[in-house]
Amino acid sequence: MEEFDGEPTVTWIPGLNSQKKQMCFDWGPGEMLVCETSFNKKGKSEMVAGCPFIHIIRKDIDVYSKILRKLFNESHGIFVGLQRIEEELTGKSRKAQLVRVSKNYRSVIRACMEEMHQFAVADKDSASGRQFSSQVSILSAMELIWNLCEILFIEVAPAGPLLLYLLDWVRLHVCEVDTLSADVLGSENPSKHESFWNLPGNTQTLTELELRWQHWHEECERHLQDGTFASDPRLESLCKVLLGDDAALLEQKELLSNWYHFLVARLLYSQPTVKPMDLHLYAQSSLDLFLGGESSPEPLDNILMAAFEFDIHQVIKECSIALSNWWFVAHLTDLLDHCKLLQSHNLYFGSNMREFLLLEYASGLFAHHSLWQLGVDYCDHCPELGRVSLELHIERIPLTTEQKALKVLRVCEQRQMTEQVRSICKILAMKAVRNNRLGSALSWSIRAKDAAFATLVSDRFLRDYCERGCFSDLDLIDNLGPAMMLSDRLTFLGKYREFHRLYGEKRFVDAASLLLSLMTSQIAPRSFWMTLLTDALPLLEQKQVIFSAEQTYELLRCLEDLTSGRPLCAEPDAQQLQEDDIETTKVEMLRLALARNLARSIIKEGSLEGS
Amino acid sequence: MVSVINTVDTSHEDMIHDAQMDYYGTRLATCSSDRSVKVFDVRNGGQVLVADLRGHEGPVWQVAWAHPMFGNILASCSYDRKVIIWKEENGTWEKAHEHSGHDSSVNSVCWAPHDYGLILACGSSDGAISLLTYTGLGQWEVKKINNAHTIGCNAVSWAPAVIPGSLIDQPSGQKPNYIKKFASGGCDNLIKLWKEEEDGQWKEEQKLEAHSDWVRDVAWAPSIGLPASTIASCSQDGRVFIWTCDDASGNTWSPKLLHKFNDVVWHVSWSITANILAVSGGDNKVTLWKESVDGQWVCISDVNKGQGSVSTSVTEGQQNEQ
Repeated sequence: MEEFDGEPTVTWIPGLNSQKKQMCFDWGPGEMLVCETSFNKKGKSEMVAGCPFIHIIRKDIDVYSKILRKLFNESHGIFVGLQRIEEELTGKSRKAQLVRVSKNYRSVIRACMEEMHQFAVADKDSASGRQFSSQVSILSAMELIWNLCEILFIEVAPAGPLLLYLLDWVRLHVCEVDTLSADVLGSENPSKHESFWNLPGNTQTLTELELRWQHWHEECERHLQDGTFASDPRLESLCKVLLGDDAALLEQKELLSNWYHFLVARLLYSQPTVKPMDLHLYAQSSLDLFLGGESSPEPLDNILMAAFEFDIHQVIKECSIALSNWWFVAHLTDLLDHCKLLQSHNLYFGSNMREFLLLEYASGLFAHHSLWQLGVDYCDHCPELGRVSLELHIERIPLTTEQKALKVLRVCEQRQMTEQVRSICKILAMKAVRNNRLGSALSWSIRAKDAAFATLVSDRFLRDYCERGCFSDLDLIDNLGPAMMLSDRLTFLGKYREFHRLYGEKRFVDAASLLLSLMTSQIAPRSFWMTLLTDALPLLEQKQVIFSAEQTYELLRCLEDLTSGRPLCAEPDAQQLQEDDIETTKVEMLRLALARNLARSIIKEGSLEGS
Repeated sequence: MVSVINTVDTSHEDMIHDAQMDYYGTRLATCSSDRSVKVFDVRNGGQVLVADLRGHEGPVWQVAWAHPMFGNILASCSYDRKVIIWKEENGTWEKAHEHSGHDSSVNSVCWAPHDYGLILACGSSDGAISLLTYTGLGQWEVKKINNAHTIGCNAVSWAPAVIPGSLIDQPSGQKPNYIKKFASGGCDNLIKLWKEEEDGQWKEEQKLEAHSDWVRDVAWAPSIGLPASTIASCSQDGRVFIWTCDDASGNTWSPKLLHKFNDVVWHVSWSITANILAVSGGDNKVTLWKESVDGQWVCISDVNKGQGSVSTSVTEGQQNEQ
């Protein structure tokens, strides 16, 4: 088994202290369940009061923070934008574009930080206030790291401008540097400083710069040797600082809030044209000198050091461990991938590290009632395993409202996830049937293309009709269109309703033909034939002859078919006898009506007036 | 950050043996030695008792939720040799079916992938595995595999549904021919893989041997789109193995030892996207494992029973990239 850097972290669950019991565990869709149990199955219960509590544990609770939600939403926009413009990024402008994306991400972090800071200040003395404060420092650290990565990996600042960027970087993050620069600027050589660093638009080459700096440095040195500042220890100390004397710099430790500030100051005064590749040497020594053996480096220090060493993978790894959610590493890695900086690592769960991290981040989003929609986009942009991940997650989204269900369905339909569509529609159809909303159930089963369920719902409709004498959800049935073909029963339902419509419009001949065809084409279930024949009665009783002789013969045949197939009851009880009685009366009535109609139709057809 | 977001007081009067979230994470089912099965609504951090189901005459070992497309259905199995299927109808839960075809304790129940319909596999201490298939109108058809494992069967777990070839929409609703498979673990130290034949009978397809003591749990990982199949197994011998099969025919399974624990390992379970395996053991801990870059399995977290009253959320160590 592979070694792991450091011990896996332990999460303690509050519970009864017990040696005899174990912990039972299961996964929910977005969380974990733990409870106390005893796995040693014995038959009889010991009636020992076990701990009745079940704890629900979740990762990624950051997803529920209202302020962070803005971070997630806005960074999602930047992410999607980046994926879309990828093809257009070429040549020189590419780098500029990528830097701009990086700055966008950082400004989003900063905005979030500001807002959280407001809350922290407003709520200073409470636990939530403290929590906000700690979140602010975490966000600040994230911005610090991102900024450095931008300078080193995305901007790829060369020697010369590199130091300027680093100066800006430190200035942005450390307010105290202003105090120091005020000191410096108050010295004898401010003009030399300013003109020296007038770099934007500067046409000097690096060599020229180095020469000039060398010259100036030597001049400073001479002043120090000559004792020019001997009269004022402060000025002398300042001169030493300007010469990049480590000891002198360290004396100002209170003004330097941290080692990277110290590093930049050192570089400014001793190695202004430092090459990117040499940074790590100065970084390491700065860290060592600054800490002075009194304390050990913290996670943030290690991350920055890894960046100075240009070890991108180490940066990502350390960030993954130190930060509580995947947001940071997912977005940063994606951006670095666009800069073509990551070698592809083949992982079991993601064809490369970028996909792995993005999908981990997306997983957390799916647990949220509205942020899940963001998760969809992240999956979309993971060509290898995004789709499967999406399929697994999308089915677990609780369909609390019709609106939400429709949104989820649209997502699935747009991506041709037919299995998921079917599954979700079936779930909704089932729910509708249980709540007696048959129309809704029918439309869901049609959408699911689920013939079996459509048959079930159609049967319910027909049963309802038999019991109540009318249809519900007429609109739906009337407008089935080609969907009617989904199942035989559904077709029958549609046609039967059409029959009623024709009858209502007094188009009796058409209605009659339709009614007959429903039986002869076998679309109507046998159990319904009696109802259909009963429906024929009013048509038979009309003043005009509606059913032709031929049709009447057909009806008679159907009736005989129906009655002959009826089995004789062995021991009819009272109820049965009564039902039989009704049946017999109905049949007799039908026979009579049919016979009368037959007579009339024969006469009509046989007479000179024709039809 | 891993934190306890809710603590549900089940008020069970005796040891809890299983707790399962439903598909959406909105409902929780628990079962206990007090012979009851309870259902709670846990939306939005709340806990409302929805049902207290009585019907078993002995400790209830496991509960399992069916897929929501069939409605709200729960299965439970017990020392009383019975399997009960409960269903929610019009807002109330009731017993929908009782299966008493076993001669001793039923230890494990597992619903098949919803693509196959409503099918429940049950493993029992009498060594048999029974398969209950819902055929409609309240009827359940039973198929029994006798002597699946000598001495007893402790766990059953279904393979994810694999859609065979191309799936053409059949308007008449004809079901495609899925190859149904499941795994079982037993007191004969074996893991067995079962396959449904064309005639509807279940046949033993494979025997996986690696454990030196009773197999306590098996878990077939959800499909994540890769051709490989993965099964996790744990045993009285303290070992957890990850079995993988790379070829499509499913014939060669190779075990990889995840870890040897110092105590019996009782339970293994995959997260829904199959990227984390949870292992609960006799040493009072639940450990979470992930596969790393080079195919090795790494422990990423320990969830431990607390000794004190304060729950401290510790930043979770996450996957290491190398």
